[in-house]
Amino acid sequence: MTARFDELIHPPTRLAIVSLLAAVEWADFKVIRDQLGLSDSALSKQLSTLEEADYVQIRKAFVGKRPRTSARLTAIGLTAFKQHVAALQQIVEQSGVTVLPG
Amino acid sequence: MPDGETGATMNKQIRPDEAASALAEVGRQQEKAIDAVLVPAWYWWVVAVGMVAIGAAVDTHSATVLAVVIPVAVVVIAGLTLAMIFGAYRRVRVRDRELLGGPGALAIVGFTWLIVGLTLGLAFGLRAAGAHLPATIATVVGGAALVIGGPLLMRALRRIMLGNRAGRTR
Repeated sequence: MTARFDELIHPPTRLAIVSLLAAVEWADFKVIRDQLGLSDSALSKQLSTLEEADYVQIRKAFVGKRPRTSARLTAIGLTAFKQHVAALQQIVEQSGVTVLPG
Repeated sequence: MPDGETGATMNKQIRPDEAASALAEVGRQQEKAIDAVLVPAWYWWVVAVGMVAIGAAVDTHSATVLAVVIPVAVVVIAGLTLAMIFGAYRRVRVRDRELLGGPGALAIVGFTWLIVGLTLGLAFGLRAAGAHLPATIATVVGGAALVIGGPLLMRALRRIMLGNRAGRTR
């Protein structure tokens, strides 16, 4: 995987969102919000930024009468995430710092 | 760094300790996502109790007991299993194919057949040997295997999924 530092992904909240989404096909808005401890508006804002970059796809559906919003990482977003992680690993490896497995 | 900060204004010079802490955060979030879809330990206990109830009911040889216990136990086990699968499926869906892969799927199928085979094999074996309460004994053994093996299976699946996740720490 080519290493490419992605400035859009790197801010902590967006990195956390993208990391979570990289492990799943898609996740419910509430799951992301609760896992990251964000407010609805803060998460919406970050998801919109990622959606504008085509990194994330937002899906709105109804389950019965209840609206349900879910998000998934696009192929572009997943590639950008992998390249960003590779870039971070490169920085760490070049310095010899140890990363405790997460 | 504030959340609202755009990529365009970010400093490209990331210190190694910042990169290391970002990687640790990536790992933490992915672990949490994977943990959210794993079956909790109490699920195995409920299924085991249901199994033993069926076994004990079979050994009573009472049509009334069988007519009551078996449907109730089956509804509880099946309902709980479906709620586990579809409840988790609705909230979050992991990348099964990439994360679990062949070894993960094989572990799930193998474990299921092991429990079913052990319980039924033991029940029929004990019955053939003329043992007292063969179905109860077999389901207690099968239930114990479920309670011990279920969490071990989840631990193995977790390890497989963490090993296959995108952008894992080398």
